Amino acid sequence: MQATPTTNLRRPNHWFDANEIWVWLNAGALALSVCTVAFILLLIAFNGLTHFWPQPLYEITYRDADDRSVTLIGQRVETDTLSRTQFTEAGGDASRLPENANQVERWLFKTGNRRLNPPDFRWVYRHDIITQAQPETLTSIERVEWGYAFGRIEALRFLSNETPGAPLSAVTGAELQPVLQSTLQRLNDTRDAIATLESGTIKQISSELQALRLQQRAMQLSASADATNRQAQLRAEEQILLQTYAEQETILSGLLSSLAGSELLVQIQNGQQHTIDLADTLRVSYPNRMGFVDKAVQFTSNIWRFLSEDPREANTEGGVFPAIFGTVLMVLLMSVVVTPIGVITAVYLHEYATRGPLIRVLRIAISNLAGVPSIVYGVFGLGFFVYFLGGNIDQLFYQAALPAPTFGTPGLFWASLTLALLTVPVVIVSTEEGLARIPMALREGSLALGATRAETLLQVVLPMASPAILTGVILAVARAAGEVAPLMLVGVVKLAPALPIDGEFPFLHLDRKFMHLGFHIYDVGFQSPNVEAARPLVYATALLLITIIVSLNLAAITLRHRLEQRYRSFE
Amino acid sequence: MSRHISEQYDLELGAIRDQLMEMGGLVEQQVQDAGAAYVTHDMSMAQEVRQRERRLNAMEIALDDQCVAIIARRQPAASDLRNVIGVMKAITDLERVGDEANRIAKMTLQILDQGIPAHQYGDLRGMHQSVIAMLNSALDAFARVNPEAAAEVIKADEAVDDAYDAIVARCTEDMSAQPEEIKHLLTTIWVARSFERIGDHAKNMCEYVIFQVQGRDVRHQSKSSL
Amino acid sequence: MSEQTDTPSASPPPTEIGLRVRDLSLSYDNTTALKRINVEIPKHHVTAFIGPSGCGKSTLLRCFNRMNDLIEGVEINGTIELEGEDVYAADVDVAELRRRVGMVFQRPNPFPKSIYENVAYGLKIQGEASTASLDERVEWALRSAALWEEVRDRLDESALSLSGGQQQRLVIARAIAVQPSVLLLDEPASALDPISTLKIEELVHQLKSDYTIVIVTHNMQQAARVSDFTAFLNLGELVEYGETDTIFRYPKEKSTEDYITGRYG
Repeated sequence: MQATPTTNLRRPNHWFDANEIWVWLNAGALALSVCTVAFILLLIAFNGLTHFWPQPLYEITYRDADDRSVTLIGQRVETDTLSRTQFTEAGGDASRLPENANQVERWLFKTGNRRLNPPDFRWVYRHDIITQAQPETLTSIERVEWGYAFGRIEALRFLSNETPGAPLSAVTGAELQPVLQSTLQRLNDTRDAIATLESGTIKQISSELQALRLQQRAMQLSASADATNRQAQLRAEEQILLQTYAEQETILSGLLSSLAGSELLVQIQNGQQHTIDLADTLRVSYPNRMGFVDKAVQFTSNIWRFLSEDPREANTEGGVFPAIFGTVLMVLLMSVVVTPIGVITAVYLHEYATRGPLIRVLRIAISNLAGVPSIVYGVFGLGFFVYFLGGNIDQLFYQAALPAPTFGTPGLFWASLTLALLTVPVVIVSTEEGLARIPMALREGSLALGATRAETLLQVVLPMASPAILTGVILAVARAAGEVAPLMLVGVVKLAPALPIDGEFPFLHLDRKFMHLGFHIYDVGFQSPNVEAARPLVYATALLLITIIVSLNLAAITLRHRLEQRYRSFE
Repeated sequence: MSRHISEQYDLELGAIRDQLMEMGGLVEQQVQDAGAAYVTHDMSMAQEVRQRERRLNAMEIALDDQCVAIIARRQPAASDLRNVIGVMKAITDLERVGDEANRIAKMTLQILDQGIPAHQYGDLRGMHQSVIAMLNSALDAFARVNPEAAAEVIKADEAVDDAYDAIVARCTEDMSAQPEEIKHLLTTIWVARSFERIGDHAKNMCEYVIFQVQGRDVRHQSKSSL
Repeated sequence: MSEQTDTPSASPPPTEIGLRVRDLSLSYDNTTALKRINVEIPKHHVTAFIGPSGCGKSTLLRCFNRMNDLIEGVEINGTIELEGEDVYAADVDVAELRRRVGMVFQRPNPFPKSIYENVAYGLKIQGEASTASLDERVEWALRSAALWEEVRDRLDESALSLSGGQQQRLVIARAIAVQPSVLLLDEPASALDPISTLKIEELVHQLKSDYTIVIVTHNMQQAARVSDFTAFLNLGELVEYGETDTIFRYPKEKSTEDYITGRYG
């Protein structure tokens, strides 16, 4: 027997050989990634959510550049510090600064009343402020147009219908509040009624009219024997419809006129008086009077309105509901398209195709497809789907509507197809991995019982590969929901006139254009006429987009987990 | 025979054969001494045989135990199985041979008071020698696993049987001539009978050798088929 | 070596023939796996294939239900007759063949479905839709596989909740539910504990009165315990075939002897 050399049991002294350093290195990298993600999420969440929290209204007096005393009412939206040099370089008056001050603080105020005294965002240097207060009487008035108005409500006036502009009665003081709220309630109800009427009966009539006109067009094109009779019949139908339309219009104008007839007399900054038509007013609130609970209620209702309402004022106000709806619908449509295509392709590649160089090349090509820049897909979608396929579909089936395109223009269907094409490699690769994990023994077990390959595939293999397929779909959904560039070419618009799903046959309108959260962020953030006003909305929308993607993923992950539990012992 | 994959198995199989041979050597010694003690009326030698019988019994038990252990643990098949079974059967036969030797020794002690007869046990001596030769050849055939040698031994058994018949005939004759010698003659018949049995056991062992090698049972078969 | 190796066939067993293999050769990508195998497998008996790893015993077994068709680059010559019909004939419906020649694999491979669904799988594939007759057949198959008493109250539970031995009996039940005439067992107990192994072996004994059973095993004791006939294969050739009693006591070929006694070949 040879004596075994004795080894030194002590740990190596050199730091490089020590285990700990590598553990720390790996842990450090992980910590860095986690921190980055957490920081991004926190930043977005904070900026997005604070937008909905009612901000106090300040009334401040300050000296402007010309040394005049100016009163300003508004919300402080940002605080900033400049160094003395930056301040002087920016053209600031250094003589107003205290001697030893190296830092200059400035506040950004959102002043509202965009029409009367633009700009509605103003920087004010801290040292210029003479007085500042948060009086409880200050009111924030949210209007249909022109953003917020800040000021003090002096009176609510009801106008006579006969002589425009002549006040019929005025309410002031203690009565003002209850009367105002009930009037607003009534006006909001009326607005709802108008909206229902417009989107319901009137819209239906106009689409029926549209259909009739298309039929007429088709008649003319076909020029068949009984065309004349049919034409007359159609014209009669059209007459009836037009009549109904006129009746509905009357009801509508009645409702519209009932909106008018009341206005608010508001004192805005610098003692200016201003009247606001109550018909334009959505909500009136007194942020400085609110306690925490009131603010929380307001916060919740703000979020709810953001989620459920249509955008207003070039997307800088109101909600993002159509964008949420469009995003989710587009992603779902895309999943419906991409899943079967991806799964069938993967099944062919893995189960049926003979292993060989051609299949290897195909696999590499599929993997590389995932790396093609998404805008390229957009261009392809526009050229192939929209112009070629869509154009031909219009020629074949929607000739009556030409030259107005039906499918020959960007729309929901083409956007979904384009994104399906973009994400199909992910589904293929993931499904193939899933198929590869299923033991041969199970396939053989099924075949040995006299099942055909197709039966084996459908009854045994695919159910077991479903977690992997879902993983692929999750990845595809995450990618598709965040995609913007190709969508701009194939169907997303800044403001869609109607949702792609409504009560009108065929209920799902694949040809319609739609709104999308990702594009909405881009549009609000960079294309908005009022960038400052829109900035919180960018964060809020980004937060919403993340939330939607995360919840779509969570739903899919839960489902996958459940499936994995079922097939666990084979993995 | 080529070796097993398990070397330990080879060692175990080798061990039982070695011990069987050791036991065989002892049994040979017993038969040798018991026969010699009878024909020379040597009391001390007969006593020795009776003493060694206990050792033989202990050996039998130990070897039997090892064989059972091999069957339980190795589950031998085919030739290995026949080998172990052959050894186990051989043990039984050897033990019986030992018993016969012991019986001869016992009878030696019973006839000590009588004188050695005039014929000097000539025919019994001859039978004794051929039985010892048979036993020796049987053990040799067993050790070398030689079926040809074994067949020879089986054939040799006939001579022993003939010798036994001759002794019985002679003793029966003498009995009527010398009735006072009846006890002595009867004992002689018994001893011859024991030698005949020992020959049968030797023959059995040889049959196991053939069974081991050829895998067929040659017991109770006519000699010509060997 | 006797003349046995030159014509690797064996004395025809004295019973009706279930499967007859004639001059069967098989090669993958120019590697020969089976060389001119001739063997007659008696009906309603258990025939075991033994031999060292890679000797082709599983490959031969998989020829009986054409499981080798799944592998690319396999070339098969010769014939296998199942009750007089060549299973490699051009017009054979492989699915129907596999229904008549059931197979159980080395590792229990129940589908990730309920116990009931597993047994009913083959029947449903055949288009059996009546719940009553499905129930009946499932119970019959589970009883035949000696599993009914253990699972009768949990038919809806996942088959994966069963133990390994129960899973293997379930797989046997699944195979016999479609009433095959031949049952191929490919090392059915190699993944099981000794008790489960004995249960499977007992089951094989019970099943042989109704099925022609072919079992591949590398556990020689198992072959000795369960089979009536044993075939020893080595390097793709059938070396020796005969009654198990004979093979395990007095094998004729030296390589058989060496294999079953555990010697260097």
